Amino acid sequence: MKMIKRFGALLLLLGGLFLITACSSNSSSSKSSSSSSSSKQVTKQFKGETMNVVTTSDAYKPLFDKFSKETGAKVNFLSMSSGEVLARMKADKSSEPMADLWFGGGLDAFMQAKSDGLLEKYQSSSVKKIDAKYRDSQGYWLSKGLTVGGLLVNKKVLKEKGLPVPKTWADLADSKYKGEIIMSDPAVSGTMYAIVKGIIDKDGEKAGWDYWQKVNDNITFYGKRGKDPQEKTASGEFGIGLIPVDQSAFDSAKENDLKVIYPSDGIPWVPEGIAVFKNAPGQKMAKAFIDFMLEPANMKQLAKLDGKDTDQIIMPGVKGLDLGLDKKDLIKEDLSTFGSDRQAILDKWAAMVGDK
Amino acid sequence: MKRKHFGSILADKTVYILLSVSILGFILYPYLSIFIQSFQEQGIAFSAFIRQDAVLLQHSLFIAILTMVLTVFMSLTLAIFFVFLKSKWQKPLRLFLLVTMVSPPFVTSLAYITLFGRRGMITHDLLNLTFNPYGAHGIILMETLSFTSLNALVLIGMLHQLEPAVINSARSLGAKSDAVIRDMILPLLRPGVIVVALISFIRSLADFQTPTIIGGSYRVLASEGYFAVISAGDLHRAALINFTLCIPALLGFFLYIHYEHTMTTQHHGLSSDTNALPLPKKGWFFPVTCCLAVIFYGALLLQYGSILINAVTVKNMGQLTFSWQPLLDSRMYLDGTILRTVSYALVAGFVGSLISFLIIYYSQIRQSRWMNLIELIGTFPYILPGTFFGLGYLYAFSGQYFHLTNLSIIVIINVTFKQVAFATKAAKAAVAQVEPTYFKTVHDLGGTVLNEWHDVFFPMTRQGFALTFLNGFISTMTTIGSIIFLIRPGQKVMTIVMFDVVQRGEYQIASVIACLIILICLIMAGLVFGILGLKQRRWLHVSRS
Repeated sequence: MKMIKRFGALLLLLGGLFLITACSSNSSSSKSSSSSSSSKQVTKQFKGETMNVVTTSDAYKPLFDKFSKETGAKVNFLSMSSGEVLARMKADKSSEPMADLWFGGGLDAFMQAKSDGLLEKYQSSSVKKIDAKYRDSQGYWLSKGLTVGGLLVNKKVLKEKGLPVPKTWADLADSKYKGEIIMSDPAVSGTMYAIVKGIIDKDGEKAGWDYWQKVNDNITFYGKRGKDPQEKTASGEFGIGLIPVDQSAFDSAKENDLKVIYPSDGIPWVPEGIAVFKNAPGQKMAKAFIDFMLEPANMKQLAKLDGKDTDQIIMPGVKGLDLGLDKKDLIKEDLSTFGSDRQAILDKWAAMVGDK
Repeated sequence: MKRKHFGSILADKTVYILLSVSILGFILYPYLSIFIQSFQEQGIAFSAFIRQDAVLLQHSLFIAILTMVLTVFMSLTLAIFFVFLKSKWQKPLRLFLLVTMVSPPFVTSLAYITLFGRRGMITHDLLNLTFNPYGAHGIILMETLSFTSLNALVLIGMLHQLEPAVINSARSLGAKSDAVIRDMILPLLRPGVIVVALISFIRSLADFQTPTIIGGSYRVLASEGYFAVISAGDLHRAALINFTLCIPALLGFFLYIHYEHTMTTQHHGLSSDTNALPLPKKGWFFPVTCCLAVIFYGALLLQYGSILINAVTVKNMGQLTFSWQPLLDSRMYLDGTILRTVSYALVAGFVGSLISFLIIYYSQIRQSRWMNLIELIGTFPYILPGTFFGLGYLYAFSGQYFHLTNLSIIVIINVTFKQVAFATKAAKAAVAQVEPTYFKTVHDLGGTVLNEWHDVFFPMTRQGFALTFLNGFISTMTTIGSIIFLIRPGQKVMTIVMFDVVQRGEYQIASVIACLIILICLIMAGLVFGILGLKQRRWLHVSRS
């Protein structure tokens, strides 16, 4: 009988654990379930409720904590790539989306999600603070900043090979850099897609693709993770990496004695989106968070957490970091085709690079 | 008496039905869901995909076969090396192998690039070479290093099956160490070698992480399936890729079933006394295996040393300096995650073992044919890639009828049922040691099914149950593939956080998390071995992420 009692006690213990951990519903409280496209600021008292967020980085935790402190809402978040968000929304047939708020990620995915009917419309009363160019006119998404593309150079490697430090995108097409350049697959990295699309927008369809063909000839293989170019340039595996330029790039440069370069022939960029998911039970909290984020003090904190100096571009007046970016250098991109052209560009790209 | 029997029959039937329904519901149904749904979606046909992407299959098979050969060679080398070692040396070396059960691919790959990369310390700085570490050779090398320790543990566990009297009499008749190894030990290990070969083959086919980090332009099916989801949300392509992976994996699996049966049979009834060992350090087996083992342990030390160093250092202008910063920074990422992960692993380890032992009770002791089928279905998560199992759950439990994807319970169910495959194998080995007449005796004395469980089945398989639980616990602590597409905000577990920080290049944080996972697994292993007073540490089964 002892055995059964022990077993029972063990089961009870595990049952307790199970109750604590397993049965906790991940969905937000139903108290805040109703939704409207009202442009009015929504209530900010969410004590006992939980807002679920999919985001690109855990670095935003201090901002989420501040929101929790002000509103009482608990914030759960999970890092996820934009492609994965789309895939999971597609596979998950439940009426409830996996999160209430989508915070960060390339705008092309947000555009896709809008056309797939996955997003909720919301026009915050403060949204006008954001330059109209960087938000959806119908209110399905808005930008919280821009990610810009640039170069990371390992001076030691280039010196050893007797190569000059590149100053422009055009330099990368020179065959002398063959085998010394690394970039990520634009299908995996939103920033690389922005660089590819930005240069095609800048140079025109034909010249743009001719350029990429030459760069492709200099590239041995494409990284399968967004951070590959930064890491592999830092470790000296390659002399030049195409990277998203942010504080972490400058930190890596400091840690590993590298150089960050804004190419002088234009800087490609991609807005980072924010949106509320359709049918999300925590929509009210998600909308309240957007209002909260648009407050100048919080935008300033966001700029710091983002490690970028582009938040002031989308919201004039915000004081962010100064990483030496000149707004004038941004390439004139056609945002309207950013999402719609994505598949065609990636297909053409895949055909060009083959098995690399 | 009648009431007692009625209660027992009711419990018996209820458990039988629950086992059947749960395996069908949580293993078969998700697979059927994803197969049906994905092939219904628009996209290219399977035949067209195979024609177009045959090279991916070729690559995957090439990597899997070579990894299998190298892994078997290395694990066999280690097992033979152990034959020459005294118990006091065996224990720490085995503990070290246990530590490497937690083997995130970034660890091996980072150390490899640092040492053998284009600007590696050995290849470039020392030998003045420019060696390209990326490609098939990189993947094979990294996978071999990662899989060897687990396989070696399986083979070393088998050494306990040696019959000391036979070895002693062979030696007293003048047999030398080399002859004992060649004529007695290697034949004994043969079924185990075939099993670990197939385990490595299937693990390599399903590994999507190593090719991502070190593959360069070398593309394989598993990583392409993962990219299909994360880059384009293309579930149809992911399903086709996984379907393709199933074919060689299934072929391998049928061989596995065959030889696994042979192995279980061979173990039965053999003595576990190992005092015939160590063998005298003579002949050529000792120096050769010793050299290779030193290189292997050296490589492991380097890898795990680099995790530890990464966890307590920061870099400035290329110089490493000691700092607690990574540890402090990791707190932000692990907020509430440690407790959740350990809880999931405890529940999954225990429930998974219980389910598996009960399945084996019905299939082996009661010889239920239906339960044999249930046992076979329970093995599916092992054969098919973890990501596919996770996507199956997403399809199966997000619909109108079974809406579970918003609950944490779905993650626990997933990790619990994923390990049934291994747990049933371990349960089978444990149950094979129980004399079948005991059950008959209980029955003859008027005992019920509950008496059988209480007085014979569970007490006599206690050690096997504890080891299966530990294996399930470690497996859950290190699993990633099956839950990566299932986790929602608020459900993060340590491996998912580690995978995420690795993707973003934050290796210091990843190293801290890897150290914590290793520490938790070691503490649990210590508790299980210590509290239950297990004298034998037989690792007849391994886990995979």
